[in-house]
Amino acid sequence: MVKTILSFLLTAALILCAGIFETIFVNSQFASFNRALETLEEKVRTFTASRDDADAVTALWEKEKKQLHVVIPHNDISYIDYWLGEAVSYIETKNYDDALSKIEVLLTICEQIPQTYSVTFENIF
Amino acid sequence: MRLMGKRQIGEMQPFELVITLLIAELACIPMADTSIPLLYGIVSILTIFLLHQLMLMLDLLWKPFRTIVGGKPSIVINKNGIDITQLKKNHLDLTDLIESMRTAGYFSLDEVSYALYEANGKFTAMAREDVPQEKKESLPLLIIDDGKYQTQNLKLSGTNEDFFNEILRGEKIKNVKKVFILTLDGTGKIYFQAKGEKYRILRIKLPEGCSW
Repeated sequence: MVKTILSFLLTAALILCAGIFETIFVNSQFASFNRALETLEEKVRTFTASRDDADAVTALWEKEKKQLHVVIPHNDISYIDYWLGEAVSYIETKNYDDALSKIEVLLTICEQIPQTYSVTFENIF
Repeated sequence: MRLMGKRQIGEMQPFELVITLLIAELACIPMADTSIPLLYGIVSILTIFLLHQLMLMLDLLWKPFRTIVGGKPSIVINKNGIDITQLKKNHLDLTDLIESMRTAGYFSLDEVSYALYEANGKFTAMAREDVPQEKKESLPLLIIDDGKYQTQNLKLSGTNEDFFNEILRGEKIKNVKKVFILTLDGTGKIYFQAKGEKYRILRIKLPEGCSW
């Protein structure tokens, strides 16, 4: 009985800690990526964004996604890869209107993904 | 599986069987689908383990919970013979019961005073102490199964329906449909139970050349 209670408490603590860690980790990873995207968005709005700016955001994302692969489904990462790739190509061709719409989509995804993996009532039930 | 205890491997309760199947399935999904991180499988298995431990604690602390979740043993043979209600409640028929008896080492239904199916489906029988030591010449044949003659066994025993109808009339049974079971062995011993009545053992003289 003692063993059962101990293993129950230990597992519950483990799951709870994993849940809290996932929420904090995913939020912090996406917060820095979100900031980089917002900076890029401002530059696109003022028509000053260059390929180097877009590459800097891509480099940051490449670094972060290596760790995110452990906690979020790889399909979600692929969506960001896809939209970011398109945004970069539009920035290179100076097609700022289309680049802006792609960045808007990326910002929405970056807002939604952390919400999906947070420990909230609606996500549990 | 090891953490769930020896009970998990040896004698599974219905909910434990479901948990075992779930764990196998959950372990498979992240391996088969490359888009799902392995961590998802580990967390799911841990959650199932947590629920199992919770069920186990409730099971130990509150006995009625065990009956609700795991079920309770069903006594299918008692001192009056076969309990038809219990047999039907467990979706079993005579063939299943006779098969379980044979697996347990009993070839005649009157060799046991009690027989039960445990909550995990295992068959247990308590041998009758006053059972007379008889010559076991041949396997008892099921002649009437739930009110119906078994034609193949009648042919095998070299008898016919009229032969048994005569015996039944002697026992004041007018319709074969009222008989739940009738078995015949090579020594002429008949195990017979009418629906809603206690079992009876009859001894008859087998017709000439009647052996199997």
